Amino acid sequence: MRGFPTGGRLKVILPCLVLLVLALLPLAEPSPNMVKVIFITALWTTTSLAWNLLGGFAGQVSFGFAVFYGLGAYTAALMINEGATPWIAFLAAGAVAAIASFLIGLPTFRLRGPYFAIATIGVNEAFRVVMNNVDFTGGASGYRVTEAGPFRQLEHYYTALTLVTLAVVVSSLIASSKFGLALRAIKQDQDAAAAVGVNPYLGKLWVHAIAAALTGMAGGVFARYALFIYPGGVFSFQTSISILLMPVIGGIGTVWGAVFGGIIFGVVEEQLVAKFPNIHLLLYGLLLMLIILFEPDGLMGLLRRAAKLFRRRREDSGSSNPDQVLWGSGRAAGREL
Amino acid sequence: MTAVDYINLLISSLLLAGIYAAMAVGMTVIYGVMKIVNLAHAGFLMLGAYFAYELFDRFHLHPMLCAALALPVFFVFGMAVHWLLVRWLPKSDTPTLASLLLMFGFWQVLQNIGNLVWGTQAYSILTPLTISSVRWGEISVPKVSLVVFAAAAASLVLLRFVFNYSWFGRSMRSLIQNPYAAQIVGVDDRRTAMLSFGLGTAFAGFAGALLATLFPFTPDFGASFQLRAFVIIVLGGLESVSGVALGALILALLETFSINLPFPWYSHGWTKVYLPASYQPAVSFVLLVVALLVLPRGVAGLLERKWRTA
Repeated sequence: MRGFPTGGRLKVILPCLVLLVLALLPLAEPSPNMVKVIFITALWTTTSLAWNLLGGFAGQVSFGFAVFYGLGAYTAALMINEGATPWIAFLAAGAVAAIASFLIGLPTFRLRGPYFAIATIGVNEAFRVVMNNVDFTGGASGYRVTEAGPFRQLEHYYTALTLVTLAVVVSSLIASSKFGLALRAIKQDQDAAAAVGVNPYLGKLWVHAIAAALTGMAGGVFARYALFIYPGGVFSFQTSISILLMPVIGGIGTVWGAVFGGIIFGVVEEQLVAKFPNIHLLLYGLLLMLIILFEPDGLMGLLRRAAKLFRRRREDSGSSNPDQVLWGSGRAAGREL
Repeated sequence: MTAVDYINLLISSLLLAGIYAAMAVGMTVIYGVMKIVNLAHAGFLMLGAYFAYELFDRFHLHPMLCAALALPVFFVFGMAVHWLLVRWLPKSDTPTLASLLLMFGFWQVLQNIGNLVWGTQAYSILTPLTISSVRWGEISVPKVSLVVFAAAAASLVLLRFVFNYSWFGRSMRSLIQNPYAAQIVGVDDRRTAMLSFGLGTAFAGFAGALLATLFPFTPDFGASFQLRAFVIIVLGGLESVSGVALGALILALLETFSINLPFPWYSHGWTKVYLPASYQPAVSFVLLVVALLVLPRGVAGLLERKWRTA
């Protein structure tokens, strides 16, 4: 929560108010499309918060979150088709994703920084190829979810809302806990962190598992809503990139940055795909390039700048260095000649 | 399978290694000098393929001439991209997320432009070369693969000369070895970075044009080759240009033989099974992860260490 431009109790009151408004929204009888946009946005925000736990707090950039999203989606789909209660199916989705995260993390966290990032690309693609060929889920042609009973959109809506609240609470708790402090230490300097008694390997593994569980549950909720999933969708590299893009838009390493990023991405993505089906990738790429070139700290950077303008007289407490995950340590360490 | 089949497979994987090396070398040059994992490589490959197609379709040029023309054109294009986008990235000793995302965004833009201009249907370049083959007893090799291999090998030899004997090549190598020391002795890192990006892009365009003569292509076709290029440069040790040839050879051999060699499998007693061809891409990605874990400096680094201790 560091760097939120308005201080004090507003930090707690404002999100609670937003949540209350969203929870009471169905009373105003919104259009199904609006509910759908909020539902999807809540799911994206959950994955964004999850990625931010590993990428933003612990500084481990992963291009492989689609693995957890996809595994969660398939687990939930299989269990719902077997007649399991959706809640159980979502929990199982989270559990399967967390187990997968250990299996992936045990070898790959031996690698540092960029090499971990590169390895996750390989893991992601390998999973997609395997899922394209597995028989019992229909392979590349996808898998259909058939659930007994009527389709109630609001039920899905509240599930997603609960999930995103859970993600925010977990992220905030981690951000202000000793564990979160350890993760930040790992991000800044792994060796120094190890020297003061933090186990970087274990820290990364655990935060990876928490992030994977949240992402997997989001995937499960998505599968139950979408009713049809296929590896080219949920396991695609595109999904991984979308998940990582949101914290980048919002501002890496801050809880609210990830939330804002998720909200903007969810709404914009839905609108872009609907309005410009031919050039949405172009707009998406341009947006990404503009953010990287002009505001590397994302929306939180912009807000911080605006806040600085307001409080010019007060002493500046926030750091002016762009985030190290995004920009590397070369510049921050002043090693440039 | 008979011995002749294996020889045929061996030859075709060797020929494939040539084009793989040409495709990956541009990525190594850019990574080595700038520490940027160029995710726009796929976009350049795709543009190279369509560049060759347009020249072939409109002016009926020989596909190899199209590929040769792609070199200077993409060199200038790459320098323009560097001037416009890449030079604003901060310098770093390790790849940054900023550079990955910037190049990824650029790839998306290129891919979308490709979709707008050429649509999503597959194109291919068909010449008399494509269907004829050289036969020697029971061994037959498609002519087009031979020609493409020759072109790729020639370009790599040319690159080797540029690297070893030109002022630009020396400054590139020094930046790869130690960027700080290189700048102290007066290497203009910005200029060299711009030229290297041009060179890397030129090779991507060239390889794209060559690939277009071998495979049908769509605006998405770069992606799978980009990931292969990635596996190759990791196998080669990321920064070593000669390692690329070795990495390409290993990947081509593994890709070919992983689906053609039976391996023992237990189901109701030991039997021999073949890996389904659709799992072939997974082989290279698993190889990527394994190579990163056990060979952090690539196969070339491993061999070097062995020789040094021996």
